[in-house]
Amino acid sequence: MVLAELGQKITQALRKLNQATVIDEKVLNEILTEIASALLGADVNIKYVAKLRDAVKTIVTLQMNNAAVANIRKLIQSTVVQELTNMLQSENKPYEFKKGKPNVVMFVGLQGSGKTTTCTKFAYHYMRKGWRVGLVCADTFRAGAFEQLKMNAAKIKCPFFGHKKETDPVKIAQEGVNFFKEQKFEIIIVDTSGRHKQETALFEEMQQVQAAVNPDTALFVMDSSIGQACYDQALAFNKAIKVGSVIITKLDGHARGGGALSAVSATQSPIIFIGTGEHFDDLESFNASSFIKRLLGLGDIGGLVQT
Amino acid sequence: LFSKLTNAFQNITGNKVLSEEDVEPILKNFADSLMEKNVASEIAEALCKSVANTLVDKRTESFTTVKATVKSALVDSITKLLTPKKNIDILKDALSAKQKGQVYSVVFIGVNGVGKSTSLAKVAYYLKTKGNLKVMIAGCDNFRSGAIEQLKTHCLCLDVPLYEKGYKDDAAIIAKEALQDAKNKGYDVVLIDTAGRMQGNEKLMRALAKLVHINSPDVVLFVGEALVGNDAIDQLTKFNQSLIDYAVQDTNPRTIDGIIMTKFDTVDEKVGTALNMVYTTGKPIVFVGVGQKYPHLKKLNVQTVIGALMS
Ligand SMILES: Nc1nc2c(ncn2[C@@H]2O[C@H](COP(=O)(O)OP(=O)(O)OP(=O)(O)O)[C@@H](O)[C@H]2O)c(=O)[nH]1
Ligand SMILES: Nc1nc2c(ncn2[C@@H]2O[C@H](COP(=O)(O)OP(=O)(O)OP(=O)(O)O)[C@@H](O)[C@H]2O)c(=O)[nH]1
Ligand SMILES: [Mg+2]
Ligand SMILES: [Mg+2]
Repeated sequence: MVLAELGQKITQALRKLNQATVIDEKVLNEILTEIASALLGADVNIKYVAKLRDAVKTIVTLQMNNAAVANIRKLIQSTVVQELTNMLQSENKPYEFKKGKPNVVMFVGLQGSGKTTTCTKFAYHYMRKGWRVGLVCADTFRAGAFEQLKMNAAKIKCPFFGHKKETDPVKIAQEGVNFFKEQKFEIIIVDTSGRHKQETALFEEMQQVQAAVNPDTALFVMDSSIGQACYDQALAFNKAIKVGSVIITKLDGHARGGGALSAVSATQSPIIFIGTGEHFDDLESFNASSFIKRLLGLGDIGGLVQT
Repeated sequence: LFSKLTNAFQNITGNKVLSEEDVEPILKNFADSLMEKNVASEIAEALCKSVANTLVDKRTESFTTVKATVKSALVDSITKLLTPKKNIDILKDALSAKQKGQVYSVVFIGVNGVGKSTSLAKVAYYLKTKGNLKVMIAGCDNFRSGAIEQLKTHCLCLDVPLYEKGYKDDAAIIAKEALQDAKNKGYDVVLIDTAGRMQGNEKLMRALAKLVHINSPDVVLFVGEALVGNDAIDQLTKFNQSLIDYAVQDTNPRTIDGIIMTKFDTVDEKVGTALNMVYTTGKPIVFVGVGQKYPHLKKLNVQTVIGALMS
């Protein structure tokens, strides 16, 4: 995975610590500059990069004069890891699906981030585990959105609800959710149109859909290649509709995914899956802490992929 | 005392020979602010370095602070960068091809979900309304679910024909047939939609190079989002290189001719991608997508971009 490239760079910078015989301010600055540049190159939000630098600097400077070199080394390393972990991890736990009752999930995100594709992967993931899953198309805006989800649903043999001619996303979402609820479906997935914070009307529409179907959780789908604009958008989505968890897509590309990681800190919601391709089984579970540990070569605890 | 004062005054307001120590911290601040505006870190740094080189040992003009001098040099250099030597005027070129009795063709390429198909529909609308040209669309994304129906919907709204083979066959062949069909039926322009693909996916990049080479379109347009971060550099470099590396033998290697930057309406003042894309390729941004409707296609306004970057 390409996020690993970021990990390598940080590890390299940290390794310099072991080579330095004294750790003074100059060495510390060099290492921090290198780490910052790796993070910026990976599109981590610039404010977080500055924050990380300051945090490490403050903690380490305090100890600089009265601790042994080995201890300072450890301190720098653990502070960097801690700060990265803080960014990726959230105290909020993802919604847990309950068997034998309807669990309604609403997919939201920017245009083209991969919602419709990821909805289908998500459905497929749970179908294979024996859940009764239904897909609802509430994207009445994008040309071909109805056919896209319908074809996807057919490919994975998942029941589908949608109307080609309907123009009101609120109405169709409500009808679809009710339809699957009546049939005792367990996971009901609502796909919505792409939108962005600058279009107030689109955000209001999202809130209306949310009010109409009262989802158990909202999933925010984010493209891994996104840059500095990501934080603002994620923050706005979270403000408009509480984001329950995040899925990062297109990690089969070259993007290092740092922009999307900033989305986690903006929404305070955990990443639960990553998308790694266009096919419906290209979805992997995500665990932040084992991810960071593996990223930085600190030993594989638990493993990245849980199935 | 008086002379001392004038001296200090001069230092801030002009006639000062600039040293590296004068400009470096100021440029560092500008570099940070460019990165905050989504200029890729390596590009922000390279840009500031080249500005530093032009400034050191120069004298500031009278009544000008060092900061203002640095800023104006940076603005000049970004303006130069964003003002391409060779521009592409699709409308003009399509009209002149029509005069010669030729079918003008444009292929849209890029990674997944950036707005290729939507931009293609906007360009169809533009050529139809501004040039009264007869446009045909070729549906060569035969992979993604709903890709053909998406184009069908646009074609219905725009009242233009769609050449498609559903989700079968070879995209390169479908494009070839579409071009032939347009010629037979007397169409002026063919716009070719392709499937999104990751720049590192060799199999798909080879297929794209084949499509470009056997059809030799008049223009190859790379579509990229204003939202994208550092990856813009890699996307453009690899798409370009793949067209060269995987070229069909006995053809002149083609490269990207121009860029469409989409979703410009979603980034506020974080417009750095414009710089990243042009810096990487030296190719012009032909259009900017500013929304999801047909008229939301604009020409790049360099002053707007610079205003946002320097804000
Ligand atoms: N390579 C790759 N492509 C992906 C992945 N996830 C989605 N895509 C592709 O990204 C493109 C956009 O995906 P969609 O699912 O249509 O995105 P969307 O968010 O529903 O788009 P809108 O509804 O228009 O906002 C498609 O070409 C998908 O095949 C992924 O993990 N890897
Ligand atoms: N806000 C905004 N949205 C845009 C713009 N251009 C395209 N979009 C949206 O981006 C999403 C993806 O657009 P598509 O045209 O399907 O993208 P694509 O590159 O053809 O996608 P694939 O064929 O799946 O790779 C759609 O929801 C479009 O409405 C733009 O300039 N601004
Ligand atoms: Mg969709
Ligand atoms: Mg498309």
